[in-house]
Amino acid sequence: MIQLVGLHKTFRSGRGFVNALKDVSFVMEKGSTTTVVGKSGSGKSTLLNCIGGLERPDKGSITCFGRNILALSTKALSEFQRQCVGFIFQHGNLLSYLSVFENIAFPLTLNGIAANQRTERVKVLLEKIGLSGAEKAMPHELSGGEIQRVSAARALAHSPRMLLADEPTASLDSETGKNLVDLMFGIVKEQGCTMIISTHDPEICDLADMTFYLKDGEGIAEV
Amino acid sequence: MTLYYLTFWIRTAALFLFRSGRSTAALSLMVIAAVATLIFLSALAMGVNDTMIRNSVGLYSGHISGFALPSSIAPEALQVNGTASVLKRIVLTGAFVHQNRIQSANLIGVDPSAEVKSTAIWKKTVDGRYPQNNENEVFLSQTLAEGLAVQLGSTLTFRSELGDTLTELTVSGIYKTGIDVFDRELAFCPIQAISPKADTWFAAVFLKEGRDPDAVIARYRRTLPAGLDFKSWKEMMPDLVQLIDLNYLSMSMVMVLVFGVVSVGIGCAFVIFILKNLREYGIMKAMGVTSREMALLILSEVLLMNLAACAIGVFAGVSAVSLVSQNGIDLSEFTSYNRYFTVSGIIFPRLTFFSLALPPALAIFFSMVSAIWPAVLVARKRAAEILRIV
Repeated sequence: MIQLVGLHKTFRSGRGFVNALKDVSFVMEKGSTTTVVGKSGSGKSTLLNCIGGLERPDKGSITCFGRNILALSTKALSEFQRQCVGFIFQHGNLLSYLSVFENIAFPLTLNGIAANQRTERVKVLLEKIGLSGAEKAMPHELSGGEIQRVSAARALAHSPRMLLADEPTASLDSETGKNLVDLMFGIVKEQGCTMIISTHDPEICDLADMTFYLKDGEGIAEV
Repeated sequence: MTLYYLTFWIRTAALFLFRSGRSTAALSLMVIAAVATLIFLSALAMGVNDTMIRNSVGLYSGHISGFALPSSIAPEALQVNGTASVLKRIVLTGAFVHQNRIQSANLIGVDPSAEVKSTAIWKKTVDGRYPQNNENEVFLSQTLAEGLAVQLGSTLTFRSELGDTLTELTVSGIYKTGIDVFDRELAFCPIQAISPKADTWFAAVFLKEGRDPDAVIARYRRTLPAGLDFKSWKEMMPDLVQLIDLNYLSMSMVMVLVFGVVSVGIGCAFVIFILKNLREYGIMKAMGVTSREMALLILSEVLLMNLAACAIGVFAGVSAVSLVSQNGIDLSEFTSYNRYFTVSGIIFPRLTFFSLALPPALAIFFSMVSAIWPAVLVARKRAAEILRIV
């Protein structure tokens, strides 16, 4: 279970203080899928960042699978992230100096998976995302859709308990976006992973178990 | 951290460097140029010092001078491990007389054939030649010759200050060194011409390359009778010692200044290089890479790049020194009136352990120091903060 209670996050910018999250609370069951919907600047990315430990909220608590992640030390948080979290960014954010194979294998190596098991796992994932034979390709040689597919494979490679996807289809055409979403939902269901995905796309919301609406940092959950 | 992770991070650092080829090459070039230049400069400084020492001891005095040694001590007794040659000399103080002219001088009895092999004063001949063994010949400075109004072939008389020596000598050659003490007072003749009249002798000991004269003197003191007077060139020529120290100091200051300026450039370039990859570090942090691993990655990148660049820099520097030291750098145009370059103004750059080790060590040190700030910045910032600012 993932439980968020009274999350507050304020940023200081040139325009003064911006309340990105205001008293956000919701609960997600293990293995469920949730979409976070809202306009640009509504706090979607901040919410996902907070849940994934990339950002620290000013107030509130986040409990993921029985662990209060805000109470974890820096080292323990890193351990939590590398074992339990997979993150898909809006623009893929592949490591540009590593090949497709090395990008997908990266979280496996971080988790101490043996080389032969790594190779096997990467091959399986490449097949699933339809990029078999592209192991040696570098990120700059891939299309936007391919980058997002590799990013999804990387995020799911180590079988995390939680997948966070920040507008993964935003920079893709609708066909490519749909394929990616189908792929993600397929793998997530197969692995029993809890997924939170921020999006503007109502079709993605239809596939999810729950939708969480954010407006100016405040949220309403709808099952 | 296990060897598994250490290997992984070093391999990742190597991949980052290799695959950002142009940036790595540009940054490496700066380190290569700095290391090679400093190696060459320090080798040049060593070469200048070597030339001054070689000229100063090689002209006449040797590395060690032995004073008023009793005739019971044979020159062979001074031949120990590290000595190249021991020259026996007899010094008589007195005056030369030619017709109605008198000039005070020190007449030095030498073994001409041995002197020619070990010293360079014969190379300063301006007229005639150095004396030959078993001939009653004298080799005069130009100043003495002019004072006595003698020419080659002239015969003159030397009278010692005790008045017990009266020797007739024929002028075989005239020299000029440009060094006042030589040009004013010294004249050389074969030792046979005056040896029966002297019961003490002077030694000029020439050492093999790189041998320490103080160590040889210490050995003499252990093995020879007490009370014998030996002095190294350092004691005989304190001005040269000071000049060499000054040369080291000024060259060290130049090196520090050069490297100070270069290191600022290298430091800034490394900061830019690391910040250029900030996005990558943010992504890695989001995947759970710890601050310690991040610091290891960054420092590995800097260290690997420097090790490779320094290796090439050392190779380039050593190659340049080897190339130049084959013929040397002829600075005679600028040293002809300098007493320390009186024999030769050709500089042969010489590498030492420090001239090889210091520039790469400085390069690595300054680069690692400059990498600390971005490494700390990356390690301390949260992933979202990093990804927001790139």
